[in-house]
Amino acid sequence: MSSSVSDRTSTDGLPTVRPADLAQARDTMRDAARAGHRVLVRGAGTAQSWGAPVEPVDVVVDTTGLDRLVAYNPADMTVAVGAGMAMADLQDRLEGQRVALDAARIPAGATVGGLLATGDGGPLRASYGTLRDLVIGVTVVLADGTVARSGGHVIKNVAGYDLTKLFAGSLGSFGLVVEVVLRVHPRPEASRTLAVPCPVTEAVRAAGVVLSSPLEPVAVDWHDDRLLVRFEGTTAGAVARADKARELLGSGEVLGGDTEEAAWSGLAALVRGEEGQTVLRAGTRPDQLPEFAGLLGTLAERHGVSAALTAGVGVGVTTVALTGGSPAGHGAVLDGWRARVLAAGGSVTVHRAAEGTFEVAPAWGPAPATAPLLRSIKQRLDADHRLAPGRFAPWF
Amino acid sequence: MTAIADLRDTLTAVLGPAGVISDPVELRTYECDGLAGYRVVPSLVLLPTTTAEVAAVVRACHRAKVPFVARGAGTGLSGGALPVAEGVVISLQRMRALVEVDPANHRAVVQPGVTNLAISRAVSAYDLYYAPDPSSQQVCTIGGNVAENSGGAHCLKYGFTTNHVLALETVLPDGSVVWLGGPSPEVAGPDLRGLMVGSEGTLGIVTGVVVRLLRKPEAVHTLLADFPSIEQAGNTVTDIIGAGIVPAAMEIMDQLAIEASEAAVGAGYTLDTPAALVIELDGPADECGDLFEAVQELCHRNGTTKIRVAADDAERGRIWTGRKAAFAAVGRISPQYFVQDGVVPRTRLAEALGTIAAMGAEAGLRVANVFHAGDGNLHPLVLYDDARGEHERAEKLSKAIAELCVDLGGSLSGEHGIGTDKACSMPVMFGEDDLATMDRVRRAFDPDGLCNPGKMLPTPRLCGEKPGPYRPHPLEADGVIERL
Ligand SMILES: Cc1cc2nc3c(=O)[nH]c(=O)nc-3n(C[C@H](O)[C@H](O)[C@H](O)COP(=O)(O)OP(=O)(O)OC[C@H]3O[C@@H](n4cnc5c(N)ncnc54)[C@H](O)[C@@H]3O)c2cc1C
Ligand SMILES: Cc1cc2nc3c(=O)[nH]c(=O)nc-3n(C[C@H](O)[C@H](O)[C@H](O)COP(=O)(O)OP(=O)(O)OC[C@H]3O[C@@H](n4cnc5c(N)ncnc54)[C@H](O)[C@@H]3O)c2cc1C
Repeated sequence: MSSSVSDRTSTDGLPTVRPADLAQARDTMRDAARAGHRVLVRGAGTAQSWGAPVEPVDVVVDTTGLDRLVAYNPADMTVAVGAGMAMADLQDRLEGQRVALDAARIPAGATVGGLLATGDGGPLRASYGTLRDLVIGVTVVLADGTVARSGGHVIKNVAGYDLTKLFAGSLGSFGLVVEVVLRVHPRPEASRTLAVPCPVTEAVRAAGVVLSSPLEPVAVDWHDDRLLVRFEGTTAGAVARADKARELLGSGEVLGGDTEEAAWSGLAALVRGEEGQTVLRAGTRPDQLPEFAGLLGTLAERHGVSAALTAGVGVGVTTVALTGGSPAGHGAVLDGWRARVLAAGGSVTVHRAAEGTFEVAPAWGPAPATAPLLRSIKQRLDADHRLAPGRFAPWF
Repeated sequence: MTAIADLRDTLTAVLGPAGVISDPVELRTYECDGLAGYRVVPSLVLLPTTTAEVAAVVRACHRAKVPFVARGAGTGLSGGALPVAEGVVISLQRMRALVEVDPANHRAVVQPGVTNLAISRAVSAYDLYYAPDPSSQQVCTIGGNVAENSGGAHCLKYGFTTNHVLALETVLPDGSVVWLGGPSPEVAGPDLRGLMVGSEGTLGIVTGVVVRLLRKPEAVHTLLADFPSIEQAGNTVTDIIGAGIVPAAMEIMDQLAIEASEAAVGAGYTLDTPAALVIELDGPADECGDLFEAVQELCHRNGTTKIRVAADDAERGRIWTGRKAAFAAVGRISPQYFVQDGVVPRTRLAEALGTIAAMGAEAGLRVANVFHAGDGNLHPLVLYDDARGEHERAEKLSKAIAELCVDLGGSLSGEHGIGTDKACSMPVMFGEDDLATMDRVRRAFDPDGLCNPGKMLPTPRLCGEKPGPYRPHPLEADGVIERL
């Protein structure tokens, strides 16, 4: 290892390198390339369980030393940060502004780079998208130590390929993200949430009513047998629109302050999951939610597992948590449910799996039509397959 | 038989005689896009009507190693659809079907040749619309929008094409057909959809697009404010953003641009004002009304000399006509002009405009300015007269302006793309390794280099043996960012 890089050993015994700047990050990757070492990139470690388990690696690159606030320009609505900075820390440093991302892992310390590499998002994705929609530039180090930038420091920019997108969802397999430039938005003055108790079938209808009204909710999610409709804006505006939505739907309770906070953090807890659970996330057409929720119930019962589900109703993002039963049960539900989602053109990513699940059902489903393309990109960026080996197996 | 003659025969069998153009006179219709300075007559033009036909054409080109260039409406302003002489143009103009309108899921599935405006028209009855609104929206195609990641006046609030397409059916350069993206923004693995958007037709041909539709806002408020200086107009924009307000649009025009626009469409702009600022707010009625008052207050605080509030849709339309006509209208006050499209960090607008004015004065040329003030996307129009031998000077000035934007920490292009026009300026903005990495990705899609070759990335053939020296990024020089 390069002498400029501080080595340390992690609890699980793997040599871990924690670069503190771009030069150290490049040296780390170059050294690994020279030695033919296989590399796992780790941020805060909140999502290392996403995708297929990585095969044994020789070195872990810990990004948390790359935690500098590089440039914050509130009047340009942009901020550049090291990829290892915790998103929660970044949010604290923005004055009257925010990164409009509320992924469930953020309170657990998830890093900006890790959030990009997972393509994660939360309920706000309905109006602001996920990090892929908020990233305007990246600096990455490729497997061979090449430092490459794409995008830039301005919101509007179409020069060159938008490589930021390639790293969104790449789970550390295309390169090490070192620096990220983000677009920020004004922090709203207030928020209110209308909570309407209803079954999932009714939730889709009710969400449709609100979404086709001009009330502009920022998030519409179903969780714990309630439809949660969040409004943000001026205090008067958020209150008035939540009230109007309640009139429109004919029922529900307007939540603010602690009760509102509790409703959304309950949803986040389900999404984060816990040890022993299997957690999956699916993307489908929004109106298929009742069908897939019903199917999940049937499969869970058949295989002796209990299943909980939450969904971004307007965008078609569903997170499922399986608890109890046997690994075979988890595997069977995963396999059966995923097959139907894929058949309908959707996608499924496993976020965590109870031990033994993957012995029954593979981490990824059948390879998509894009697999040859993904393989070809991987080949150009990491020909020796040294980064996160196995993360997307058997796709690439 | 030559490769082209062979292709013509093979593809006539697939597309029928109406789908193949080889007549030299007709071929000339395709020799350039909206950037008429570059012209190349293609060897063949193909007009497929289905994805299968596009795939058949691409497969045939791939087999014969003949380069191909996709073309939508040809309104591009960077020479992106410029043909290759020994190659073919694949026009998507006959793929104009609105495949599915799905109001329940707020989306539509369209073929690539559908115009941007046709989408909003088709879904208007459901109170929905497609948000990105380039000024060329009546004619430009959604396929071209995807390739250029086009934006419009309202993209400050709503984002660009990339934020509004969910999935792309794509014919890859080897002729295989894949969907990139999916029915939801949640996809498994890397965002290939997002990579395809803005790739300027170099990674494949888009044959189907799933667009996201937005609910029309309840209220829209528009005003036109005059200011004694561009700087005061710019400060107003800064104050609005500082107040946490994100208007749907903020556009500034200078006196020369106003003069041109008035001569062309007479939208009622004040002729002798040094600067005009168009501001549009939209959203829920009550809040939008309150914010609109706050915005007017900020205009006054910055010394506005006149505010015209659009009383109804007709007047709003007139204000926008004045703004949108400015481009073409410049033809009224100058025989020829170049349009630039650089971006500067918004906070450096005043500096950028001052430098541009000085550069214009030095070159002895007039520069009119129309720009998206909210995001720093400039559209300086360099006016010149070919008859007076000003072409070369104007071209040089135009290029220098684009590169100035990079020097100020911005970008060569905010929406028009790199294409043929700015490929040789790319080394000003990106280092050798950045460009080499982009090239690696390109080759992953197109190892044979057949898909819109010579566009976007500098090549020795295009730019001379050395595509230009690497210069440190200005933010590096300032110590704001570091390469290493
Ligand atoms: C000892 C321990 C055990 C844990 N066990 C579990 C468990 O069993 N199940 C579970 O769900 N969670 C577990 N966690 C929590 C989980 O690992 C972390 O919460 C999570 O990884 C958060 O880190 P992150 O969000 O910053 O990204 P990470 O989780 O570190 O990374 C997420 C993904 O993004 C990639 N990545 C991250 N940063 C970058 C970057 N800068 N460039 C490129 N790629 C990058 C990674 O390679 C990975 O594929 C555990 C945590 C610890 C410390
Ligand atoms: C008066 C005027 C005003 C304009 N205003 C704006 C504006 O406000 N904002 C803005 O962003 N742009 C603007 N433009 C530029 C232009 O209209 C856009 O770039 C538009 O998206 C181009 O669409 P097109 O169908 O004309 O594409 P073309 O010009 O035909 O092609 C553009 C590029 O896209 C590729 N391409 C086309 N179709 C496909 C496809 N199906 N698959 C893959 N690649 C494809 C071509 O190869 C080429 O590289 C303006 C142009 C004019 C003339």
